Amino acid sequence: MASEHHSDSNDSNPNGNNPDTDFKWDPLRFISKKPDEVLKKVDDRLDALEKEYFSDKKDKEENLPNILGIYGVSRRDFLKWTAFLTSALMLPYIFKPRVARAANILTRTPFIWLDMADCMGNTEGFLRTAHPTPAEIILNYVSVNYMESIMAPAGYQAEARRTETVKKYKGKYILVVEGAIPTGMDGKFLTIGAKGDTGLKIAKETAKHAGVIIAVGNCAAYGGIPAANPNPTSAVGLSSVTDRSVINIPACPANPVNLVGTLVEYILIGKAPQLDSIGRPLWAYSGRLHDNCYRRGHFEAGEYVREWGDEGAKKQYCLYMMGCKGPFTWNNCTIAEYNQDISFPMRAGHGCIGCSQPAFWDRMTPFEKPNADAKIIIPGVEATADEFGVGLFAAAGAGIAAHAIYTGIKKKKEHKKSKNEDSEKNDDNKKE
Amino acid sequence: MQNKNSKYGEIQLVHRMTVIKRIIHWSFFAAIINNIITGFYIAYPFLIFGKTPTQADSLSTGILNSGETYQAFIMTWMREFHFIGAVIIDVIFFVWLYLAFFSWKEPLYKSFIPFGDKLEEAWRMLKHYFTLKDKPKTDRYQDPLNAIIFTLFHLLILLQMLTGFQMYVASFTGTSAVGAWWPWLLHFSTDWTLVVFGGLTGVTLVHLFIMWLIMIFIVYHIYIEVWRSIMWKEGDILIPFGGYKYMRNKSESE
Ligand code: HEM
Ligand code: HEM
Ligand code: SF4
Ligand code: SF4
Repeated sequence: MASEHHSDSNDSNPNGNNPDTDFKWDPLRFISKKPDEVLKKVDDRLDALEKEYFSDKKDKEENLPNILGIYGVSRRDFLKWTAFLTSALMLPYIFKPRVARAANILTRTPFIWLDMADCMGNTEGFLRTAHPTPAEIILNYVSVNYMESIMAPAGYQAEARRTETVKKYKGKYILVVEGAIPTGMDGKFLTIGAKGDTGLKIAKETAKHAGVIIAVGNCAAYGGIPAANPNPTSAVGLSSVTDRSVINIPACPANPVNLVGTLVEYILIGKAPQLDSIGRPLWAYSGRLHDNCYRRGHFEAGEYVREWGDEGAKKQYCLYMMGCKGPFTWNNCTIAEYNQDISFPMRAGHGCIGCSQPAFWDRMTPFEKPNADAKIIIPGVEATADEFGVGLFAAAGAGIAAHAIYTGIKKKKEHKKSKNEDSEKNDDNKKE
Repeated sequence: MQNKNSKYGEIQLVHRMTVIKRIIHWSFFAAIINNIITGFYIAYPFLIFGKTPTQADSLSTGILNSGETYQAFIMTWMREFHFIGAVIIDVIFFVWLYLAFFSWKEPLYKSFIPFGDKLEEAWRMLKHYFTLKDKPKTDRYQDPLNAIIFTLFHLLILLQMLTGFQMYVASFTGTSAVGAWWPWLLHFSTDWTLVVFGGLTGVTLVHLFIMWLIMIFIVYHIYIEVWRSIMWKEGDILIPFGGYKYMRNKSESE
């Protein structure tokens, strides 16, 4: 699997990627080799979906402008955004109007958003932005059949809504899960709703019939903070509790662009995008931050921030010595950017904390110190690799010195002895 | 009273290292020292370049300050030399592996595979280090204790290569100048390190830690070769220089 940077063998890849074609990973999932046919397939699909989800032409055409209008986002802004998303998805320009159509359809696609063990940071991140971009608005307006934090019904009604959606839109609804799933004590660490079902049960049941399953945020994708050592609730990511293929959109919180982009791609071609070996869409997560960071020149030049607020920090030097985990992290923060596409950690002057990698709370800490200052995990040893190394080195050095001294003394003694005795056995060693 | 000569037996010259092995030995030496220095720099960029006043008052920056960002690609050079050293180490490893089995003159497996009396012989050598008595005979082949230690050392190097390549392949996005097979091969052979050592940060820490083990080997190795030369008076230290050592056909106290 040429374009992957994480473990797992070929056959465990949920998408069965082919190593020969893998590098030319195609945002369109190789639906056809002929360009015309590709367009036709996509158009047919969009036509069918539009027929299904919109009552008439007027409904179809006014839907998005209405929604965007509420937030004062102009048509022009929206078109700019579709251009941005088209290129982020690495699709050719001809797809721009199709991305716009897909975004429109997306707002009507049945949609279930589950919250498991989490801080709802992704929800907050998407819904509470002051000046939302179309990505956030669309997420806000997807036809949410079930999303605890924004839906009107509560209690039994809410549950009924969920089960109804699952039944009615079998194989069609989009399932987004946020938060880790505690599996300890049969999942009883997390119970949800009037019936007190466990999150484990709800997640499994809802995932079974979903059209596409997305785990958003590091917790849903890999267990995140609830799963951090010692993981008292045995929390895991969604992919560990369902045998269906899960698209992971990790980060803390995930970038709305990555979620909406993935959904748009799903609408366009009806398939999950190509994933890397830990389930992340390649279009968003194939680049290492360190390789796409605007401070990389300073890294290469040996120009580092050594202290918060020092001269180097003012000059935007590299944050490697301040614990930047960009060298260990794959995401598109430096390209798609956060907060209304304005900034990302390194631009803001703080290193990456590696939030889109599995177990980042354990493996990327201490966040503000270089990786080499992390404690190594050897039972009974509480030291950094260097402290432990220096310790062993010193012990070995002391051992060698002791041996040298010992040899010296012993030799002297024996020298005296052999002078006195001067007797030796004659034992013929055979010659070569 | 017997004379000195017959006490130790006749002195003979034994061939121990071919030219190729000697070249390997010293290239290895140079590459490893190089990789320790550059690797250490990558872990802790101890020389800071650039003209920021707060940063320039350390001694190293004062001396080595080379000016503007574009003139000072020190990390680039360190990484470049680390990779050059790595290539040399990789090649040497595979040549060593080949020679260990197929060398005409002194295949290592004759000494290191711990069968039969080899383990016992290694144990005798170890005892000899502490009692200074009963020196086992050392002749055409490496003594088993050394052979075992050299083998363990090469396993460390192998681990260093695997973790190193995992860090190296991290910046590839699917293909390379020589084709997609290269990153594919690296992923194929080293991705397991991510699982075993806990992600790329863990792999990096293992790489860093093995550096210390390698440094311990070097100190031990040089010490013991010097020790042997002094104690045995057989010129062991000359092996990687001239290829020969001396051997007495009688050992001192047997
Ligand atoms: C980075 C430093 C060094 C490394 C990694 C290293 C590694 C090795 C290895 C792997 C061998 C076994 C050769 C073989 O048969 O394949 C060897 C042999 C030897 N090395 Fe080194 N060496 C280093 C430095 C030195 C230095 C500085 C000296 C001398 C002052 C030295 C003296 C010897 C001797 C005498 C032997 C022959 C041992 C024997 O065959 O019994 N080495 N070394
Ligand atoms: C004796 C051999 C070697 C030693 C002592 C050594 C030491 C080191 C050290 C200390 C680091 C810094 C780790 C950190 O950031 O904490 C490093 C980085 C690295 N080493 Fe090695 N290394 C050796 C051989 C190799 C080999 C054989 C490879 C094979 C490709 C390799 C590839 C790398 C890479 C790719 C990095 C990361 C560079 C970066 O992050 O920019 N090393 N090495
Ligand atoms: S700031 Fe971080 S990601 Fe950017 S170059 Fe430095 S180490 Fe790499
Ligand atoms: S820069 Fe790193 S820590 Fe910040 S959002 Fe991106 S992946 Fe997460």
